[in-house]
Amino acid sequence: MKKNYFDNCKTTQPAPEVIEAMMPYFGDKFIFPANFVSGGSTAAEELEGFKKSVADSIGANTSEIHFTDSGTLANNIAIKGFLSENAKHGIHIIVSVIDYPDLLTNAAFFEKSGFEVTYLETDENGFINLEQLKNAVRPDTIMFMTTFVNHTVGSIQPVKKIREILDTADHKVVMHVDAGQAYGKLSIDVNELGIDLMSISAHKIHGPQGIGALYQRKGVVLGQVVHGINRMDKHQTGAVSMANIAGFAKAVELTFSDFEKNINHLRELSNYLLEKIEKTIPYTLLNGPRGEGRAPHNINISFDYIEGEAIMLMMDIAGISVATGSACASQGLKANYILMAMGRNHEQSHSSMKFTLSRYNTKEEIDHAVEKLAEIVKELRSRSPLYNKE
Amino acid sequence: MQYSQKVLDHFMKPHNIGKIENPDAEATEGSPACGDQVSIYLKVNDKTQVIEDIKFQSYGCASNIATASIITDMVMGRTLDEAKKVTWKEAADALDGLPPVKMHCSVLAVDTLRKAIKDYEIKHGLAEKETFGKNTIVEELKKVIYPKVGEDIVTLKMVKYVGFENGIATVDVDIPKFDEHRDNVVEEIKEHLEQIKEIKKIKITI
Repeated sequence: MKKNYFDNCKTTQPAPEVIEAMMPYFGDKFIFPANFVSGGSTAAEELEGFKKSVADSIGANTSEIHFTDSGTLANNIAIKGFLSENAKHGIHIIVSVIDYPDLLTNAAFFEKSGFEVTYLETDENGFINLEQLKNAVRPDTIMFMTTFVNHTVGSIQPVKKIREILDTADHKVVMHVDAGQAYGKLSIDVNELGIDLMSISAHKIHGPQGIGALYQRKGVVLGQVVHGINRMDKHQTGAVSMANIAGFAKAVELTFSDFEKNINHLRELSNYLLEKIEKTIPYTLLNGPRGEGRAPHNINISFDYIEGEAIMLMMDIAGISVATGSACASQGLKANYILMAMGRNHEQSHSSMKFTLSRYNTKEEIDHAVEKLAEIVKELRSRSPLYNKE
Repeated sequence: MQYSQKVLDHFMKPHNIGKIENPDAEATEGSPACGDQVSIYLKVNDKTQVIEDIKFQSYGCASNIATASIITDMVMGRTLDEAKKVTWKEAADALDGLPPVKMHCSVLAVDTLRKAIKDYEIKHGLAEKETFGKNTIVEELKKVIYPKVGEDIVTLKMVKYVGFENGIATVDVDIPKFDEHRDNVVEEIKEHLEQIKEIKKIKITI
């Protein structure tokens, strides 16, 4: 596996077992799932098995799982499908200012076409404002959307409490959860949490890119979003990659076969990373919560007096992959919207670095990364007109 | 999008980095809020007007550091008049090019150098403080780069109208509604015009 890779929020390296599980579908097993013909029947049975693996991992029924070409497509099918079908029941939706772009861009799209959107605020640690939520639910509210684990600062939204608040309404408010960063990092039971729709993605858990899944609670009706031939799924019409699905199912199996051990490993490593950075490097600021309210794989931290793209590039040249919230590293040249919404100033946002860990990271890699990071921060501070400490 | 090897070389090992104690002139431009700031310090021979030493400090990204570094190389040992003529395009070319979205770094470096030279000239009675006029606004807008193409908004004819009356600067810019850089361009215009003390209020229409 690739060494010194700490950008697992963006994408993860496929596990060797995943690649192995995919290979047969590039060869003899190329046949689509279908009834009555031998190859097709086998494929159909295997597809059911793959669905079951995903369903079991979140406490769902197999019939509630739909494979999609990506997590983003799952989000689109959930949001567009639900809102287009249910507008007759209401036109109000609730989202928060720190949600994943998939949710925010969809909300903006529906706002433009006549829906009303409430954007919940966040506190300084990246948790959405529940008091505001209580007051936001209206008789015509039909959907609430949230990002279970925030993709920037790792804050875990209190989905169960949110469900309780939504349930105080005298009508059903459907909850859609983007679980891209939560799946495989937290234990999720859709029934216990009262989730109605949920998107997940394979490449965040060492599965292949180009495959996600939508959980759709039985009874929640979605309109058609992707029109076309129904080969194996009514929502994801057209051809679906059996290789990707097989890879996804294998990644699920690997993730959940030693789930507790895996989570403990991530938690231990991220605590170690944070402790080491804070001990070694002065003038830092952790972004997002400390402790249990934070996903086990995420550390986001700002370094005063210097800029994040420069840190990221020097780390990259040293063979270490990390991410930054700096405007300079973004296409739109904008500071990270989540950090800004949390009340960080521009400088803190520009200097933020995000480390996201995976099961394959080791303590030795972290020792090496922090050692390099300390050198780089020192070097860049020595060049900075803002730093007068030495 | 990638940086040239030359950008990376100057970024990793910048030339003339640091501060000159008791400089003959200095200037600081940009702001940490925008994510980039450059300070330039000069030692100038007062008989020959030759730049005998130049140093810089940078808070910013790789291209910010690299453009400031290359500019110090380009003007070291040159006269102030020669140094003033260095353009941001020449600086970017000397680095084997910059990604369009990073061109503003080159503008900032050249602007800081010119401000430092101006500082010297004013201190030595070689120039007077510029009088403010509508043209000052236009000159300032020439430093606002449209990140998509890496060219300034005046040259690109995106500025449709510039006005100034009773402390209010009015700028009319032509930029598509769904352009991903729209907010950025508006912010940049504001940041540039806010530095001019004669301007009390800025009105930008799109």
